[in-house]
Amino acid sequence: MNFANYPFSRTLIGVAVAASVFIGCASTPKKPIGSEQVRAKLTALQGEPALANRAPVAIKDAEVAVREAEIPQKDLVLAAHRVYIADRKVDTARALAETRSAEEARTALNEQSEKARLDSRTREADVAKSDAVVARADSAAQRLAANESEQDAAELRRQLEILQAKPTDRGLVLTLGDTLFATGRSELKSGATANLDRVTAFMNEYPKRTAAIEGFTDSMGSEEMNQSLSQRRADAVKSYLVGQGVGSARLSSSGRGENGPVADNESAAGRQQNRRVEVVISPIADDGTN
Amino acid sequence: MNPFPKTASATRRRLRFVVPGVVLLVAACASTPPIPATNLQAAQQAIANAERVDAGTHAAAELSEARVKLSSAQQAVNEKKMIAGEQFADEARAEAELAAARSGAVKAIAVNDDIKHSTATLVEEMQRKTGGTP
Repeated sequence: MNFANYPFSRTLIGVAVAASVFIGCASTPKKPIGSEQVRAKLTALQGEPALANRAPVAIKDAEVAVREAEIPQKDLVLAAHRVYIADRKVDTARALAETRSAEEARTALNEQSEKARLDSRTREADVAKSDAVVARADSAAQRLAANESEQDAAELRRQLEILQAKPTDRGLVLTLGDTLFATGRSELKSGATANLDRVTAFMNEYPKRTAAIEGFTDSMGSEEMNQSLSQRRADAVKSYLVGQGVGSARLSSSGRGENGPVADNESAAGRQQNRRVEVVISPIADDGTN
Repeated sequence: MNPFPKTASATRRRLRFVVPGVVLLVAACASTPPIPATNLQAAQQAIANAERVDAGTHAAAELSEARVKLSSAQQAVNEKKMIAGEQFADEARAEAELAAARSGAVKAIAVNDDIKHSTATLVEEMQRKTGGTP
């Protein structure tokens, strides 16, 4: 083969050789070691929408640094330095984006927290309100009860006034005069029971009270007889009350005879006062109940 | 046949340009670069800033590396290796800025976690007090 006969092919060979030399030169400078990893980190950060827009300046700064780190560099120390700087800038951009993201999320968190606090206060207030309602109802009930007991007390006073009972240290003493009995007798006179009926009503109205029924005489006659008579008269009153429905356990009867005169036995008027039956109604119970 | 005939005068003409160029180059290499004072100062400031934002607690490794880089920079400068000094200083600064940024992120996330926690506690307490959700 005579090349001289093919001048065109000789030119082709020359071009091919030159091209291969150029390509060789172009491919020789490579990206510095580590720059690809840094680029990958930056790409990953830019690919996270939650972070990518949160630190635009720092990410741009990192982008510039990464591009610089990618420049082929014969000075390996300088290349490594640029990769180092780019790597730190990418990490910094990520941290700043995370910070910004957290700060933005905080607004919502604070709102949630505030809402929870408000809810809590509202509920506490509601609870307090309903407690207050209950408390008001309670105090109203107490007042009502107090009113009732006041009314009761007023009624009691009224009843006692009717009975002409006198408060003493033994209790309320109701004195039934000698008009209940005939002289020397212990049977209740018919038609003389109006006062006893009031006692019955009173005892039925206040079922927690008890009564001591005591018989007294004047000093006329023998002491024994007087004692016996006073006992029988007290018993008669008790029997009558029991007959009217007052529990016998609430009633006691005793004869005091000539003892405990309330007036002078020398005069007829005094002796009349001394002949009597007293109904001693127990003081109100400690717990305030009737 | 010589396609590039050289004459003595042509060679001299070229040397007139080459020699000052070489001299200049040598002079540039021989003169010591200035101390990278700005870079060192920036690195120191960045480290101080990182310390101020509690990087010592929240990004201790980064802050520590920044300090190592700064001391390498100072050592290089002491040894008149100004290029290395500058690079170390810049690395110290980048590392310190990373330390500050990481510390900020850790703190910001911790604050959010605190808020979440206290809100959850509040809700829980509320439910216990008032018995269940509304």
